Amino acid sequence: MLAYIGRRALLAVFTVWAISVLAFAIIQLPPGDYVTSYIAQMASTGSVVSEEEAETLRIQYGLGQPMYVQYLKWTGQVVQGNFGMSMEWRRPVGEVIGERLWLTVVVSVAALILTWGLALPIGIYSAVRQYSVGDYVATFIGFIGLAVPNFLLALVLLYLGFVFFNANIGGLFSPELQDAPWSAARVWDLMKHLPIPALILGLAGTAQQIRIMRANLLDELRKPYVVTARSKGLAEARVILKYPVRVALNPFASTIGYTLPYIVSGSIIVSLVLGLPTVGPLLLKALIAQDMFLAGTIVLLLGLMTVIGTLISDILLVWIDPRIRLEET
Amino acid sequence: MSQRRPRTRTLRSALTLILAGALLSAVAAAGALAQGGKSSLIGKLEGPEVVTDSGKWPKAFKEAPQLAELVKAGKLPPVAERIGQDPLVIKPLKEVGKYGGVWRAGFTGPADFWNGFRCCSGPDHLMFWDYTGDKVMPNLAKGLEMQDGGRTWLLSLRRGMKWSDGKPFTADDFVFWFEDIYRNKDLVPTPSAAMAINGKQGTIEKADTYTVRYKFPEPYFMLPDVLAGSTDLAGQWNGYKGMGGFAPAHYLKQFHPKYVSAADLDKRVKDLKFDSWVRLFLNRNDWAINPDLPVLSPWKTATPINTATWTLERNPYSVFVDTAGNQLPYLDRVVLTLAENLEVLNLRAIAGEYDYASRHVDLGKLPVFLENQQKGNYKVYLDPGDYCDLIIKFNLNYDADPEIGKWFNTADFRRALSLGIDRDQINETFWLGTGTPGSVVPVDSNKYNPGPQYRKLWSTLDLKKANEMLDKIGLAKKDAEGYRLRADGKGRLRIEIMTLGGQFVQYTQISEMIREQWKKIGIDLKVQEVERSLALQRTANNEQQLAAWNNDGSEHLFTFPLHVFPYELAAVASSGPHYVRWFHSAGAQGKEPEPRMKELMEKWKKAFGVPEKERIQLGKEVWRIAAEEVYIIGVVGQGPAAMGVRVVKNGMGNIPARMYNSPDGKTPGISRPATFFWKN
Repeated sequence: MLAYIGRRALLAVFTVWAISVLAFAIIQLPPGDYVTSYIAQMASTGSVVSEEEAETLRIQYGLGQPMYVQYLKWTGQVVQGNFGMSMEWRRPVGEVIGERLWLTVVVSVAALILTWGLALPIGIYSAVRQYSVGDYVATFIGFIGLAVPNFLLALVLLYLGFVFFNANIGGLFSPELQDAPWSAARVWDLMKHLPIPALILGLAGTAQQIRIMRANLLDELRKPYVVTARSKGLAEARVILKYPVRVALNPFASTIGYTLPYIVSGSIIVSLVLGLPTVGPLLLKALIAQDMFLAGTIVLLLGLMTVIGTLISDILLVWIDPRIRLEET
Repeated sequence: MSQRRPRTRTLRSALTLILAGALLSAVAAAGALAQGGKSSLIGKLEGPEVVTDSGKWPKAFKEAPQLAELVKAGKLPPVAERIGQDPLVIKPLKEVGKYGGVWRAGFTGPADFWNGFRCCSGPDHLMFWDYTGDKVMPNLAKGLEMQDGGRTWLLSLRRGMKWSDGKPFTADDFVFWFEDIYRNKDLVPTPSAAMAINGKQGTIEKADTYTVRYKFPEPYFMLPDVLAGSTDLAGQWNGYKGMGGFAPAHYLKQFHPKYVSAADLDKRVKDLKFDSWVRLFLNRNDWAINPDLPVLSPWKTATPINTATWTLERNPYSVFVDTAGNQLPYLDRVVLTLAENLEVLNLRAIAGEYDYASRHVDLGKLPVFLENQQKGNYKVYLDPGDYCDLIIKFNLNYDADPEIGKWFNTADFRRALSLGIDRDQINETFWLGTGTPGSVVPVDSNKYNPGPQYRKLWSTLDLKKANEMLDKIGLAKKDAEGYRLRADGKGRLRIEIMTLGGQFVQYTQISEMIREQWKKIGIDLKVQEVERSLALQRTANNEQQLAAWNNDGSEHLFTFPLHVFPYELAAVASSGPHYVRWFHSAGAQGKEPEPRMKELMEKWKKAFGVPEKERIQLGKEVWRIAAEEVYIIGVVGQGPAAMGVRVVKNGMGNIPARMYNSPDGKTPGISRPATFFWKN
């Protein structure tokens, strides 16, 4: 078991390195560099950057150097825990991401809890009571949830919030608490702003998970061991929860690898629409502005999350499903 | 894995939705405007004025209550001492205001620093425009005197004026900027054109504590305009690039290798995680980033622009006062909150969450703004610009396809294309009828406007004439679909226009309309929307054929010339990169322009060294050539598309009915937001 985990961990390190190279290369692929996108941005708001100023900026940011030199410089810093200076934000990358990172985690975890909290019971119900009215209703709502683009839902909710409740538009805090230090009032304010983004982010996932749970459980429910358990006189709830549900949980565990990065980057469009101060919009802006160190760090972070997530789901699968354990050893 | 596929679909449907929405809102807007009428939204141009007659200056000063407290507590010197002997007196537009309150607005991120410069920097130019944008008036400087036939200029400073930390503002701050920043090759590798006349650099020296001497090798009559316009010599907002014309010497010396030991500076650079002293120095000299930087503006940065809220608070040493002697600004703070995207920003404005907003406000949403005026407790004003909101540039240097390059250099080809545009249709559809169709020349009242007849020159719809002209120059042959054929026998003449999306003006959609209109003169136009970095690369590499943009700034012909003739290489729309090189290298590089273009350039250049009367004449001639030769097609202008839709909360005082809308005027800076106040 330990050797298994060790081998996986070693592979993970190599994967992360490969991701860092790829991330850097991909960011450099589009034409131009930070300075050209800076000039364009200035131009579109009615001001001018002269050729001299552009040259100065390139020298100062070291953009004239060959790509591998820039890469080595960057990774050299990253290893020491310094992610470089964000060109656009003119602050250390760590600081820029840091303050948004944990807000992102809060929003996404809330969405995740909502997703699983709704999907698991509903999925089990629809499987056990297949083709009942409840199943049809859940399926119908689930498909609608899946079909409606979540950014559209976000727009609609924003508009309704404005028209009927005079709610603040977007964001996670009321304006007066935006910069306030942490306090009970600010936490409460965050909690009040959380339901809408969590709902919007969670809804599509919920529908998906309901379907997966339902399908898996249906497969299991028909297996002989369930019949055996029942015929032995086990209580119905215990029959279902103890064995078939546990097996049906497999896909949930194996998707953790994708869920972790989703927590950080997921929902870029929704976050943009709702004006959430999360990492998603930051990544988008960094890519547009070709802010290499910022974009590179976020992509690296996402890669790292995927790798860690996969590692966790591998271990988790071994733990939940004895059959996998047997195959490994 | 399951997340990936829906994502792309989502994005595409988002775009479709936005397009459909834009179309719908344009239709709705036209209806709403027809009811309200644009005249009620566009008021009379008005604004506050600088009082230059020292006899009319107030003798005693008053200050904001919070500052009075600090004075009482002994933490601040008395107000008269802080302002000095020569206040910058501004006569408010309507009334003397009262202290207190906050101004809330939005910004879009650290690259949106112009947002704060425009609203809150004063403006801190040494000289500045009056509210008409026409006349140069003293501003931070008390006066500017010409000597030696324009070769020497004496700038007099205000006695006793102070930086925001209470240290005196003197000629030493100019010398420090000139010697230690501007002439330091690490900070400023390439000298600024603003400090030069005919390519020859000038110098700055101290005459006495309150007098600065500018010296130039040749007469530089344009200097007052250069100090007033948005140039490298115009105020501390330039500090982030080592420009500005002056800088707080007493503060910045601690970051400069000339004044501190290399070891100390190195340690500082490392501690603050910078990679060089240059980056550290420029960061510390950034008005929007560094709350510790001593400034001269009425408000100063309290929480920097690279955080979620950019807050500006009153400068206790502000030299700005009103006619009753109240130290300005009236409003305590300006709070700009980060909006992750423009839709959220606009929706917040509609909801009345902003007290005053014009930047990023979308003309296409005008009907929604009007509809919610009461609910949001605000009023909508329109501030049309004095320039063209949509121009089409021909790349006169295009050589990838010699045939197309040849036509671009044929005056009648350019004129015919201009005559083939139905400007009224475009104005009605995209400007909701609020714009003015016409050529590239600025508004009739502009001092460089060559005359009313040039508005329409080659700029009306005349299909018959356009077709005749195209036939005559050798493009008479057409294919089965009615498109003109190339003269070299290689099929249809197909030209391409480059546009950018997501801008103040809907360049792509308008170009699509022009494509339809040009079918009637047999021209096949391909509209190509590109990403903005790609646009810059294409112009720089001479790959652009036509490009759509606006010529904002060109109303100040001599401080903002890049949309008048090929002046700037780094541009999202170019008239010819080789001409730019030729112009700036005085003929050593690039390609010599054709005679008329050369004439235009020479006249423009000559104007810097002649007195104003002669300059106005030259300016008119520049525009005359531009309109006659149609190097750039003017389509619709003088509309409110660029930052011209203004949403102001009821109860805010001294708000002009209409203000001069121009980057050079730092609008709304030209209306002196330091005089805005809350009536109750």
